[in-house]
Amino acid sequence: MHRYIWLVPLLPLAAAAINGFFGRKFRFSEKLIGGIAVGSIALSFLITVAAVYSYAFSSYAMWPETYVTSQDGAFKFTWIPGGAVRQTLGSEERLSVSSEEEAAKKRAALPPEQGDQPVAVAVTDVPRSSVLDVEWSYQLDALSAVFMLIVTGVGLCIFVFATGYMHGDPGFYRFFAYMGLFMFSMLVLVMGSNFLMMFVGWEGVGLCSYLLIGYYFERQEAANASRKAFITNRIGDFGFALAIFAVIATFGSAQYSDVFAQARNYPLETLGHWGLLSWIALGLFIGACGKSAQLPLHVWLPDAMAGPTPVSALIHAATMVTAGLYMVTRTNVIFQHSQTMMMVVALVGAATALFAATIGITQNDIKKVLAYSTVSQLGFMFMACGVGAFAIGTFHVMTHAFFKALMFLGAGSVIHGMHHEQDMRRMGGLRKYMPYTYLTFLAGWLAICGIIPFSGFWSKDEILWNAAATRYFSVGWLVWLVGTIAATCTAFYMTRLVAMTFWGKERFLDKHHEHTPEHEGHLVDDHPAPVHHGDVPHESPRSMWVPLAVLAVFATVGGFVGISTAFTGGKHIGGRMNIVNFLDPIIWNPTTRYFGTHEIVDSYGKPLERVGEIRFGLVTTELEPAEAPGPYGREGFNLAHAVESKLHNETATEWVFIIISLVVATSGMLLGGLFYVWRPHLPDIWAARLRPLYEASYNKYWVDEFFGWAVTRRVMDAARGVFAFDSKVIDGGVNGSAWFTRLSSRLTGVTDQYFVDGIVNAIAAFVIRLMSPLFRAAQTGFTQNYALVMVLGLVAAVAMFFGADIMKAVRDIFAILL
Amino acid sequence: MVLSGWEAVFFWVFSIAAIFAGLLTVMARNTIHSALFLISALVSVAALFILLHAEFIAGVQILVYVGGVMVLFLFVIMLVNVGSEERGSEEIFNRPRQVTTSVIFCALLVAGLVYAVNKGYEGLQGRDQGKIEAAAEQAQSRDRNLPRSATGTSGITNDSQRLGGVLYRFGSLPFEIASVLLLVAIIGSVMLARTLKQEAAVDDVDPDVLQKEATHDAELAEVQQEPIE
Amino acid sequence: MQFLLPKLFSPAFALLFQEATGGHLATAWQKAQHPDLSKFLIIGALLFIIGVAGVLTRRNIIVIFMSIELILNAANLNFIAMSRYLQDTGSVNAVAGQIFAVFVIVVAAAEAAIGLGIVIALYRNKETIWVDEIDILKW
Repeated sequence: MHRYIWLVPLLPLAAAAINGFFGRKFRFSEKLIGGIAVGSIALSFLITVAAVYSYAFSSYAMWPETYVTSQDGAFKFTWIPGGAVRQTLGSEERLSVSSEEEAAKKRAALPPEQGDQPVAVAVTDVPRSSVLDVEWSYQLDALSAVFMLIVTGVGLCIFVFATGYMHGDPGFYRFFAYMGLFMFSMLVLVMGSNFLMMFVGWEGVGLCSYLLIGYYFERQEAANASRKAFITNRIGDFGFALAIFAVIATFGSAQYSDVFAQARNYPLETLGHWGLLSWIALGLFIGACGKSAQLPLHVWLPDAMAGPTPVSALIHAATMVTAGLYMVTRTNVIFQHSQTMMMVVALVGAATALFAATIGITQNDIKKVLAYSTVSQLGFMFMACGVGAFAIGTFHVMTHAFFKALMFLGAGSVIHGMHHEQDMRRMGGLRKYMPYTYLTFLAGWLAICGIIPFSGFWSKDEILWNAAATRYFSVGWLVWLVGTIAATCTAFYMTRLVAMTFWGKERFLDKHHEHTPEHEGHLVDDHPAPVHHGDVPHESPRSMWVPLAVLAVFATVGGFVGISTAFTGGKHIGGRMNIVNFLDPIIWNPTTRYFGTHEIVDSYGKPLERVGEIRFGLVTTELEPAEAPGPYGREGFNLAHAVESKLHNETATEWVFIIISLVVATSGMLLGGLFYVWRPHLPDIWAARLRPLYEASYNKYWVDEFFGWAVTRRVMDAARGVFAFDSKVIDGGVNGSAWFTRLSSRLTGVTDQYFVDGIVNAIAAFVIRLMSPLFRAAQTGFTQNYALVMVLGLVAAVAMFFGADIMKAVRDIFAILL
Repeated sequence: MVLSGWEAVFFWVFSIAAIFAGLLTVMARNTIHSALFLISALVSVAALFILLHAEFIAGVQILVYVGGVMVLFLFVIMLVNVGSEERGSEEIFNRPRQVTTSVIFCALLVAGLVYAVNKGYEGLQGRDQGKIEAAAEQAQSRDRNLPRSATGTSGITNDSQRLGGVLYRFGSLPFEIASVLLLVAIIGSVMLARTLKQEAAVDDVDPDVLQKEATHDAELAEVQQEPIE
Repeated sequence: MQFLLPKLFSPAFALLFQEATGGHLATAWQKAQHPDLSKFLIIGALLFIIGVAGVLTRRNIIVIFMSIELILNAANLNFIAMSRYLQDTGSVNAVAGQIFAVFVIVVAAAEAAIGLGIVIALYRNKETIWVDEIDILKW
């Protein structure tokens, strides 16, 4: 069944095309459009499930090998044929190691601190061709399987929700066309078998984000937000594109299999040794920052809430923003080669997590709070990748997709029920009016706060534990600390949100109100009477709360695929069902320099059953002896080791961190309850007391204003300067040359008129003065002169004929005479 | 074609006469005298024609040339005023320069022509020597066998018959064209010699010119005022 | 007349010349007794020259016309003489020269008529028959 994965992106694309091209022309009904869209996603989801089952769990499973559709000809299209791109020979670091002597030479060439590292020797040489042959084929391996399931599964729930939410909107067909296009792009991104397909998907989701954020394009706010999103994304894409060029130039191919097989033989670049792979990782990370809204390029995500809520749920919670994480996890080989970049990723992720969490505390728009929460959680994911726990990062993507999509959809349900009121200060006590929404939202709230046994706990806790225990660099403790504080803030502001929205007294009954901008998008079809503010909010229709329930179930039980080893006695149980085991083949191990934890990887042999035993792993929980060196050599302080040295028990060490994270989560929730349920006057008091901090947080640390001043206005000044230069200098030059041309033409005219014509006239006059008397002399008017000339001609004729003879005769006569 | 006997004598007489008459035509002061001298030159040339066995042409020359053209000449001479010449005050020759140049050219021409004729005839003779002698014999016998005229003094040749036969058989087109030519000449001369009054009478004068001329001539003014019917 | 005399005597001049070279007078007399084609042609040439001289030297327009008639007659004489020669040396029907002469006479008559008509018209306008007074075409 995994042969048919090429259908998975195709079905949403076909549905999008049908809806987009024919939806308005043939006036499809909402049911038809929704049916086509939801049906295509449902089919894709089913095919994905079947494919993943057949790939990983069936009796002829290919896991842990990668399946590419071009392997058995299921789908292969030569997209950019060889010869279209000719490559130079590239950097000298391109390896062609194939023997022991070479390995010894390499070992000798390594920096001293890596001297006792095992050095890998390539078993097979990767053929290097000088022409680039890019194919369009789909890849199914552990990572893409997880992401495909997330995208299609959560996407299905959101599509169903959207059919209810967007009911009555005149652009219904357009919405689902764009959403279908988005699904296609996202699936190409996660299913592509080479960097260029990923880039195509990357750009495609950026485009669809622009189209969908600006869905209410008549509103200035939405148009601005969509433009901002696209441009900020593009800044990241620039770095990403440079990284792809570097990859192609260095490795000679864009296929993941080729690139990663070569990349694993490159030497590691420790802190302070910045090499080629660090540059590539930097470019890739810049792309990830743009797409996944990390610290300097996060500014677009809160503004993107101007789009419809299903869009926010799908794109800006579950899928698009996780594309950056997918990319980092996919290229973990390259990232793990560079210690500096790993640290950068972790620190940026941590900073983003804390930064966004502190802003979320003070926001009043329900969607903005969720947006900043998304940014914060994305920071967590990058933290996970930065400390080397790539599988946990992916796990957090999965759980975050569940609970964040759930909460966004719940917020959408609330907004819908409140007749497009988004300000939390005007909500309250909705649990009585919208019970299904309330109950499902609670599941999401508990998940994000990290309360056992909800899904968010498992992933967040693992991230924090790995941050503390990381062998990659020595500032893991800082990452852990920042992450813990961010988790506290997360619990606090999510509790605040739930309290302001669902608990307490109903503030929406107050008469004095303002309109929210999203008001126009909602027609009155499902409310027979005209609506006024102050009407009772109602529960959403079934099409809206059923997906909420489904997601709530997943948010509750979805975390058990990644149960921490502290609970299971140090092993990852569940075989392939355990996400850490499942993702193991794609994670590269810098110590053994192989993918996964197998010693020798035979490319096309029978895979071995891998249950639990992780011997060389850095990946999660197994706390190595402090004496064993990390992959980059001996690192400095390690928090987990410090704790363990006190406790002398690995499992206890881990439990310590678990308890700490539970404690901070609970305290955050209690604090939120205190401020917003039991002592509602406290927020104002503390806001006044911490006025500067409050102002900074409320104004999002003035980042947008700073960008406006530093970048936008400077660019506009430059544009003004260039315009001035163009209009004065260049146009001045052009006009000057025109003036000069006119002047020279005038000069030439004068010269021609006086000088040249004067000469011509003088010559003509001279000729006339010379010849005219002669001609006049011939015109005597005297006929007999003319007759004389005729006779002259006759004489000449006779002379011509007989002249010679006559002269001879005359001479004879004279000779005889004399 | 060698003439002998009395024919030779006649040849010399008439040729001298022709040349003499021609000279006097050119040199006579009185135009009438010139015309008369021309007539005698033409008659001499007609006699030469008879010597050359071209009787018909001789007759035509006398009838047409002398009888028609020269009569016309005499009419025109008398039409134009000849009084001044008779009084002998006008010069009859052109300016000396013109005359000198003409005479020189004519002298050159005559020398060349005479030389050419002599030279050419030598060649011709050389080519046709046998034929000439044979033809001479034949011509003599033919002449003796000609039918005699009524008076018995001359023979009757069939030159006219011969000429007519060839003319009307092979030269009929030029003949017709020549008749058209004569018609054109008649009409042309009539038209050329019309007076202004005659032209005005048939309304063939430009009004401006008529106006201008009417101021000189009273009769023209009368013509002008005739009503147009 | 004085300057025409040498021309007149040109055959005599040749005779004299021949005599000076030694006793060709008899041949000359012989030749004079039997004039042949060349004599006719020479007579024609002389008449022609006289006519040309008349055209070029006289002032009276009528006399110029009459000189032209002389020229035409000289040409006729040439034609007839050659026709006779052809008859003598070829067939008796070679009368092409005579036919030519007929047409020359016709054309001469027509031309005389037109020309004299022009003279009349010219005389009516200019009141003169002197050619050198009719120089309207002068520049």
